[in-house]
Amino acid sequence: MAVQIVMDRTGDSRYPFDPASAAEVADAERRFRQLTGRGFTAAARVAPGRVEIIRSFDPRVEECVFFPRLVGG
Amino acid sequence: MFGVLRSEQRALRRRRAVRRLFCHHRADRTPAGRARRLLQQWLTPAQWKQFSSRGYFDVTGSDSGRRYRIFTGSAMNVCLLDERGRTRRGICFVPVGDLPAGDVMLAQKLALELCEDSALMVAREFIPRALG
Repeated sequence: MAVQIVMDRTGDSRYPFDPASAAEVADAERRFRQLTGRGFTAAARVAPGRVEIIRSFDPRVEECVFFPRLVGG
Repeated sequence: MFGVLRSEQRALRRRRAVRRLFCHHRADRTPAGRARRLLQQWLTPAQWKQFSSRGYFDVTGSDSGRRYRIFTGSAMNVCLLDERGRTRRGICFVPVGDLPAGDVMLAQKLALELCEDSALMVAREFIPRALG
């Protein structure tokens, strides 16, 4: 199972999906587009200690965290 | 006699383990606890060790290679470090939304490590006197 983790006021919301299921992958891709369209940045751990920004949906990414747009404090 | 002692020690260990489990479970049900758990999962082992013992962790900017220190907090909690590890100036940028501190700190870490220039473009500077 892969999971999309979205930061929110509850701490986070987790959306697991099965990369082998076309329907679940489509849902996950739709969520990815919605979130990045709203200004969220997607980051994924690609190796131990190595994190990258994910600019397009990739169902092979096992764990992806979305953080909201940044503003000056 | 030694058998009784061992049995009491086992019972004590069991009680402690159950208490830890309950504390952990309760913490996971609060926004702050969930955010802290997510932060723990995404920090490197070295960063988590530093954060657990000192209340802050250091990150390296993706574009400049400069070092930053992220303190516990959800605003005015990031400082640029000089070559000797001293705080030089504070930079303040936060993710939008009412996020718990753990999420804010994780977003700041990811932003500095992945898209430093974008983070600095929106950041405001402050004098990091209060953070030491």
